[in-house]
Amino acid sequence: MLPRNPSYTNPEPCQHLAEYKLKHGFNGYKAIQKLLVTSPIGKTSVKKPNTKVPRCGFCNGCEGRFYLCLICSSFSCLDHTLLHPQSESGHAVFVDIERTELYCGVCRDQLYDPDFDQVVMSKHSMGVAGGATGNESIGQRLIKRRRLVSGIVGLDLQKSKCRVSTKDLRGKSCYPLGLRGLNNLGSTCYMNSVLQVLLHAPPFRDYFLSGGQRLEACHHRRATDLMCCLLCDVNAIFSAVYSGDRSPYSPAQFLYSWWQHSANLACYEQQDAHEFFISMLDAIHEKEGKTRNGSKGNGDCQCIAHKVFYGLLRSDVTCMACGFTSTTYDPCVDISLNLDTDVSSTEKGKKLTKQNEDGSMSTLSGCLDLFTRPEKLGSDQKLYCQNCRERQDSLKQMSIRKLPLVLSLHVKRFEHSFVKKCSRKIDRYLHFPFSLDMTPYLSSSILRARYGNRNFTFGGDQSDMFSEFEIFAVVTHSGTLESGHYVSFVRVRNQWYRCNDAWITVVDEATVRASQCYMIFYVQKTLHNKANEDLSHVPNSPGRDLFLPIAGCC
Amino acid sequence: MLVTVVYLLSYLYFFVLWNNSDVNVPKLSYFFLDLLDSIIVDVASECHRVARLGLDSNLEEEDEELKLSAQARVRVADPSNSNEANGKYVVDIFGQTHPPVANEIFDCLNCGRSIMAGRFAPHLEKCMGKGRKARLKVTRSSTATQNRYSRGGPSPGSTHSPYSNYSTNSMNRLAYGTSTFAGEEHSNGTLES
Repeated sequence: MLPRNPSYTNPEPCQHLAEYKLKHGFNGYKAIQKLLVTSPIGKTSVKKPNTKVPRCGFCNGCEGRFYLCLICSSFSCLDHTLLHPQSESGHAVFVDIERTELYCGVCRDQLYDPDFDQVVMSKHSMGVAGGATGNESIGQRLIKRRRLVSGIVGLDLQKSKCRVSTKDLRGKSCYPLGLRGLNNLGSTCYMNSVLQVLLHAPPFRDYFLSGGQRLEACHHRRATDLMCCLLCDVNAIFSAVYSGDRSPYSPAQFLYSWWQHSANLACYEQQDAHEFFISMLDAIHEKEGKTRNGSKGNGDCQCIAHKVFYGLLRSDVTCMACGFTSTTYDPCVDISLNLDTDVSSTEKGKKLTKQNEDGSMSTLSGCLDLFTRPEKLGSDQKLYCQNCRERQDSLKQMSIRKLPLVLSLHVKRFEHSFVKKCSRKIDRYLHFPFSLDMTPYLSSSILRARYGNRNFTFGGDQSDMFSEFEIFAVVTHSGTLESGHYVSFVRVRNQWYRCNDAWITVVDEATVRASQCYMIFYVQKTLHNKANEDLSHVPNSPGRDLFLPIAGCC
Repeated sequence: MLVTVVYLLSYLYFFVLWNNSDVNVPKLSYFFLDLLDSIIVDVASECHRVARLGLDSNLEEEDEELKLSAQARVRVADPSNSNEANGKYVVDIFGQTHPPVANEIFDCLNCGRSIMAGRFAPHLEKCMGKGRKARLKVTRSSTATQNRYSRGGPSPGSTHSPYSNYSTNSMNRLAYGTSTFAGEEHSNGTLES
């Protein structure tokens, strides 16, 4: 009946539950549904009839846990849930009236049934006033998903037209294309590190390497108007870096166009790599978005910046009195994460089994947990609840509604204290995995956890294929807030390279893992595997096949 | 939830102690034990559901990654490992060495003068008429940061108002009217020397 949820493992129902459903169907579930009471924060319990204190049918006790038989509706305490199936044949399935969990009296274990969970979640949907609105937006989310899939197909079509001309540089061609140093033009390491990342982002790279008639037309128009086109200069960098020439390239033309375009960033001081990344994607969108699509919103934008980096964040503000939830969506091209300085991973139920040997280590999953944790809004920003018609205390929770093709995670290492009027850099080590599963941070998983992890398909689930990410680049920062240095690591064919301005060196995985990451770039695993296959087909040198890269070979 | 449990247990413990001189000690004991049992079963039920439905399948991978990360930090902290011995003076993968300041010579795209690559940015800053004094003035007045997604501590994202002495059009005209050689460079699209 229900579509199988990929993130769950449906346990086999015990024979008693199977017999019960075979004999009685959903009558017991529907009868229970009428007795359910939902609290605003998502917990469910069974309402007691006649508002009396429940008593065990056997020992008449009124303490401890109580279970309701799904067949004869009698109450039993924990000890007598064993006796009830013995005296009445077939009366094995109970419901914990405090937590609304199925319980088998013979197997002495809790049961998990998708049909029962759906009944409980239907009760929640009835209770919350915004249920009808959620149903209407499911169709729109499915339309967006099809567009995402068609976007991938479009990128695949562009990939087949990729023609990389390989020069016969015999001495230096044992390394893949795309590895070329960028000269530091004077405190421009922030620009060089981000450019190296963009040069190796698989969907972004394939777009520029496949060329395009638009760029030629723009080039022709540029010659007449004497205008600086940022896209042409980005294309020029791609052509220069992937040309096979290995001497360091000076991105002077790009810097000139960039400073023409962003006048507020045109200065010699050291700048923030993340700010440059955001501004450059905005500039690409501004240049290309106008010609591609008229004046649509960001969600439907067809420029390369939004095709690759566009994601959608969901913000839920829940009234703590009545449970009404107000949902807003915010487009983003990256996610900024606070470092989890106070390690509170034990607050989550799923982390109880995890043993923290190093209690002070920050992890990327900890930062993402902190990002998606419900946060109580202060008394000065109380929500005006449309249901209560007055200001109430509220909880705010972020989640990811739509994942981009390339996930860019920005770690906030530069913090500013308004009280002390000073800024400082957080030199804390952050552990980041090379493979990242973003399923727990999707809106569907966050909603599921909010309502007790019921086996229920919330609208618009992304499948597992699009939630798995693989790392391909890291931008690291060393030094202080005023004077520092950006270095990027890129991963080409599962080999890590350190791009330190003009120096390209081979590093091992340990160096990348131990680095002080500032921005971490992940690509969807399907695109990552496809990119690796395509790169292996590019001929390096027909006469020499070196599988192991040797530093300094001539 | 565990922090809440500990907090609530401490509160109840002191509550029972404070009423120790009362006659209703057995009733409070039963009430306390019943509530404690209820809280424990809440946590146990939640963990049981998570474990049974396989929602914690990433924990083993996370532990493996953490182990790799710990090994990496130990290895890099080891001084006997000379990964980056000299830093800037190392030979790169193509067998090239590079000076600390890039010494490639090309013509400035704005004024056409020959400039060294490593000094192009400070030169271009003056050449485009964006002085450092005006820059510092703008930076100092706009120290206020915008909080992205309004979460936690703010990060210093600088919101600068656009500051320009010349319009872009006149700058373009001035730039490419100066020398024909810059035009040739522009039509090529790359700077190769």
